[in-house]
Amino acid sequence: MVLAVLTWPVARASAQAVSVDAVGDLLKIRAPSFSFLKGEPLDRLRDGRSVRVELVAMILAAPGKSPSTTTRRIFALSYDLWEERFAVTAVDARTQSVSHLVLAAAEAWCVEQLTIPVRTLGALGRDVPFWIRLEYRILDGDASAPQEDSAYTLQGLIDVLSRRRKTESSSHALEAGPFKLRKGGSHSPQ
Amino acid sequence: MGLLLAVDAGMRTLALLITLVAVAPQAVTDQKSVVPEGTIITSVQVNGFDIDRLSPGLRQDIRALSGTPLSQQRLDELAARIEAERPRYIVAVRSTRDAGGQVWVFFLMGRRDEPERDPNINDRYVIEDAEITGLSETELTQELRDALKSLVGTRLDAGDADRFQERLQRDFPQHDFSRRMQRGSEKERIRLVFEARKKAPPPWLRFEPLKSNVVYHSDQKWGSFIDLAVGKGPVRVTPLFAIANADDLIEEFSGFGLRFEATKLGTRRLGASFEWSRFDQDWRSPTLDALLLHPEIPAAYETRSTITPMVKFAISPNLSVAGGVSISELEPLFPETESQMANAAVASVFYNQSWKDASEATHRLEGSFGVRAGSRELESDLAYTRYLGQAWYRYHFGRHQVQASGMAGGITGTPPLFERFALGDSTTLRGWDKFDISPVGGNRMAYSSIEYRYTGLALFLDVGSVWDANTERKVRVSTGFGFHAGPAFFVVGFPLNTDNVRAVFTMGLRVSGVGIKW
Repeated sequence: MVLAVLTWPVARASAQAVSVDAVGDLLKIRAPSFSFLKGEPLDRLRDGRSVRVELVAMILAAPGKSPSTTTRRIFALSYDLWEERFAVTAVDARTQSVSHLVLAAAEAWCVEQLTIPVRTLGALGRDVPFWIRLEYRILDGDASAPQEDSAYTLQGLIDVLSRRRKTESSSHALEAGPFKLRKGGSHSPQ
Repeated sequence: MGLLLAVDAGMRTLALLITLVAVAPQAVTDQKSVVPEGTIITSVQVNGFDIDRLSPGLRQDIRALSGTPLSQQRLDELAARIEAERPRYIVAVRSTRDAGGQVWVFFLMGRRDEPERDPNINDRYVIEDAEITGLSETELTQELRDALKSLVGTRLDAGDADRFQERLQRDFPQHDFSRRMQRGSEKERIRLVFEARKKAPPPWLRFEPLKSNVVYHSDQKWGSFIDLAVGKGPVRVTPLFAIANADDLIEEFSGFGLRFEATKLGTRRLGASFEWSRFDQDWRSPTLDALLLHPEIPAAYETRSTITPMVKFAISPNLSVAGGVSISELEPLFPETESQMANAAVASVFYNQSWKDASEATHRLEGSFGVRAGSRELESDLAYTRYLGQAWYRYHFGRHQVQASGMAGGITGTPPLFERFALGDSTTLRGWDKFDISPVGGNRMAYSSIEYRYTGLALFLDVGSVWDANTERKVRVSTGFGFHAGPAFFVVGFPLNTDNVRAVFTMGLRVSGVGIKW
């Protein structure tokens, strides 16, 4: 049974950025504008190397609030030098693979694997609208030794104070909502 | 005989190891001791890993086990620390007693299983060619060439490629290596390219040390100096801000400035700096009172504006010289008097060296000697020559640190107040107040200090004297203790050779090297 989908963008930046399908007991997320393969990681892929990405989807009661439900998956991506297509493998407990995808399709496939059980939403969705926050982190496969730079730098202090992980090379987030679940097959905004 | 003993000891160790390895557990949780708790440990060894690659503190704690009673809990803690420091290794601890009654403790380290390589769609392609760019053929050993050649004709294995890249990194530490793959000449064939890039050599010239601080002195009160470096590579711009800073000179100054520095101008031997600053002065009443009694000392001033262009030349990575001029305009306290110029030629030589000894202790030595000569030829109203020699040494082993420093200086002629020497602040002659012992500073100075630190706890002894030529010289001594936690410090000093023994405390934040990169 399809419950609903609703995109009721409050922030202009999030308009049409994220949509949610409730299929059976799972919320499925689509975010065509959520691009995480660019810059140096994309160069690495095109050089034949693999890149590991962690994607996180969070359900929030309101923008900026702490998440009530979180799901995260880690994917290994590579780029076929001859076919010029991307291959993705989920490298966590639920191993799934797909190949022969163009860039946007590879990114979309990763986001679609971020399913969230509807039952974990509780009152959110049916009675109370919720927000979705998507985050990604490009993970360095090789845990390089920490820089032995004794000098303090403002960036270093910011990293320490924000407890930034050494292995993370970049991160990005997208927040959208509010969404509300409705019974029936309608996919219109609230 | 000694050789025989060594061979005997070596064989005994080998026999023990064979026994231990045969029963070596696969996890750190399996660490049952066969020796009773409290038995004195004769010897400790780390096997399967070079102990010198562990941190000095951990190495020291492992070695310190010899001669102490065996405690399984302590051994487990050390094993956990090794694993925390080297997460790719698993550690097992074994203690055993040999036939001679000697108790041995072994930390057996083994590399964890290689993590699974991420799947790569190109693994199905065959490598038709592998090459290394950025290195000449003559730099590659035959072994390396053979290893590279062995990759050709096989399917791409990211693990093999990683290991070869790691080997290159080990063999050529002066280079950084990256890897890329390209299409080969035929379908489903690829080329593997390892790219070597020579690392930038370490600079020979150093930037001016940063000394940002916020300091409270129980006699001299709050003051602050902030130098925030902005720069990348050999170029740096440093805005300077001072707020009621009485910690460096006999004057209390507030204001701002800007310093440009380049440590490499075409060659790493040549550098330059340019500094401009404008500071307003506040004078403490002891200084103003003392000036009334010493008309031969140039008058106090309202503001001090200084421009200092310098050129620096590195003779070697450890030795450099600098030369330039310092042009200062001193605006008078009283408008009816004219401003004075204090223009000086500046020259200095700087030496620094750091090294490790056999016990892994680190040593660092710095020394400098500088001359500033105010001259009529430079349109200076004040003619003087100021000499200052300084040396600083630090010994660092594990949690122990010993710092020793000394400096001595002299001035001839009539220097402006900012050139006169002062002791008795948060870093020199701690426990004394400079406005008590020399409110207008002196033209002679000698000082030395020794400090011992165990982690954050410090004990120190300062000895020094500041005086004017042809006046009585009094040597002052102080001692005290301090706590240091990162940039924060709290120091209590006691003047010793005085009838008025009292506690003088300083506290604040001192960050050497605050900067942002762009």
